[in-house]
Amino acid sequence: MQQSLLSLFLILSGIIILVFILVYLSSIQSQPQQGMKNPLQKRFWFITIMVVVLGMFFFITIPKSPYYLYANEQPARIVHTVSSQFVFLMSNQDIDPAQPMGENIELNTNELVEFRVTSLDVTHGFGIYNDKYELVAQTQAMPGYVNKLRWKFSEPGKYYILCLEYCGSGHQVMKSFFNVK
Amino acid sequence: METKKLNKITALWIVAILVLFILSIILGIIMRLNQGELIKIQPPTFYADMTTHGVTMIGIWFVAGMAAVNYFMERYVKTSYTANMFAMVMTVIGVVMLWLSTLVGNFHAGWTFLYPLPFKIMWSTWATPLFLWSIGVFGIGWFVWTISLMAAMLKKYSMSQVLAWQHFGKKDPEVSTPPFVLISMISLIGVLTCLIAAVILLILLFAEYYSGGTFKNDALLIKNLTYFFGHTIANEMLYLGLAVIYELFPEVSGRPKLKTTWYVALAWNLTLFFVLAAFFHHLYMDFVQPEGLQIIGQLASYLASLPSSGVTVFSIIVVVFRNKINWSLTNSLFFIGIVGWVVGGVGAVIDATISNNFILHNTLWVPAHFHTYNAMGNVLFSLGFFHWFSKYATNHSLPDKYSFVKLAILIIGGVGFLLAFYIAGADSVPRRYSTYPKGLESAKTLAAVGGVFAIVYLTGILSFFVNISKRCLNVLFQRS
Repeated sequence: MQQSLLSLFLILSGIIILVFILVYLSSIQSQPQQGMKNPLQKRFWFITIMVVVLGMFFFITIPKSPYYLYANEQPARIVHTVSSQFVFLMSNQDIDPAQPMGENIELNTNELVEFRVTSLDVTHGFGIYNDKYELVAQTQAMPGYVNKLRWKFSEPGKYYILCLEYCGSGHQVMKSFFNVK
Repeated sequence: METKKLNKITALWIVAILVLFILSIILGIIMRLNQGELIKIQPPTFYADMTTHGVTMIGIWFVAGMAAVNYFMERYVKTSYTANMFAMVMTVIGVVMLWLSTLVGNFHAGWTFLYPLPFKIMWSTWATPLFLWSIGVFGIGWFVWTISLMAAMLKKYSMSQVLAWQHFGKKDPEVSTPPFVLISMISLIGVLTCLIAAVILLILLFAEYYSGGTFKNDALLIKNLTYFFGHTIANEMLYLGLAVIYELFPEVSGRPKLKTTWYVALAWNLTLFFVLAAFFHHLYMDFVQPEGLQIIGQLASYLASLPSSGVTVFSIIVVVFRNKINWSLTNSLFFIGIVGWVVGGVGAVIDATISNNFILHNTLWVPAHFHTYNAMGNVLFSLGFFHWFSKYATNHSLPDKYSFVKLAILIIGGVGFLLAFYIAGADSVPRRYSTYPKGLESAKTLAAVGGVFAIVYLTGILSFFVNISKRCLNVLFQRS
């Protein structure tokens, strides 16, 4: 998915750069002051096309937002996650903030999992990476709040948790994992 | 303000900004080379370096826009030298406090100093209040400057005139608002709003810091305030740069001045609201934030791109397309800067789509797009002004030497440096990591490549710095 977005970005950027090069060349090569014919009309069409394209993107992408993922299904598993500098603790049970303890987590493919993510100190990021280190899902871990992230893992394997919000001098080593069978 | 005084203070701003810019680029290069494991610094040093780099860059390019706007504002209204100088003094004091807190005190909570990280002391205890006070000192100086410029405009124009409302429905109103005045006012209202948010933010943080643990803030509220301030000021500094382009691009190109029409007036008035609501996209991954605000965030981020592309970018294209214009280093920098701004905008709109943000948020895609519209957009807008000013104020009329080479170095360095960010972002590499864990295969190599291209970009900046600063120092120290 990320690679498709990179391709989209590179294609759009290429088109933009090409348009500006052509505009520049038209200035170098033109007879004095020919100018653009009907600029107002062209501007109108340009904005109209932009509105249509962005409107389409908006209405297509909003339903795919993570807040609506599996919203009408009951989760088969709930994984409680507590973050603190610089560890993630995960458990099938509620985690007591006074004595936080984690356990190894093993999930099944295609079961709906709800991660309930919070933090005991500063804001952290809860980024789920697959075994190829591709980011597949994320939410933030914020003190005083519980973010609920629902996800189904279609591929078995080892999944890593990396911190995706800068949280201090050990941010880069804050890592955990769970297995999906 | 007298021309001589205005020239001197503007020249002083330019030299100070360029020196701080070069130092901050070096900090950035150190970070990328450390991530690429070509050099080795300790994580706290890396993050203190990162914090210094972020706050300094935002600060200097904001004041660059303000200094340029103040310079051209004098063409329309009388501005205050005292306010300009006050902002300069406060900015210098703020920078000294900031650099002491980070580079000596080792404060490293990042430029966003996301609550409650500043209070989890991992540095000298005095560094936290010093850092927060440095933000306060910047804020006071910039607040006074902003109010002073707004008041100067409102002495000549009424509020509705300065916002060009008389252009709605009338082709040739009695009073025509210059686009420069309109865009400056729109930007300054945004600046004022985000500075007020910064004041509230700092009051809340100081209340907790000095309460001795009896008062606690709400992390979500503080995060909203932080990004309302941070996102908005970063956007407004771009718009200040655009005000300068509206004023200067046609002038140096030998084309008639751009005029305010109903659609220019409408676009910029709408931009004010869209930009103020777009900051919600920084909180997409906080699922406890009300969903309505998340959707407003995506909508406002999309809508903000319409006036800017359909009016500003299109206006520049109309000026250039099939028109013989006087190409110089100044308008070439503006033109390339517009391209960088638009391309960065595409990267930003992709990331501002909630379903994309789910897999891009806080990866290197984020610094990729904001470095695009800063390093290859806003910086070029300001460099174009700096170059033009340094020649204009010293009556330097000789043609620019080696313009093509200078621009080529800047573009090659900039594009290579940015591509390394984008590719790493698409490879899911997290941002703000001092070093990368095993498994993120491409991260180290891309960081090293990005660092090397950043050195090329720095070389390009140095080539501009030498001539611009030499001429600005002449302005500063000339007696008559």
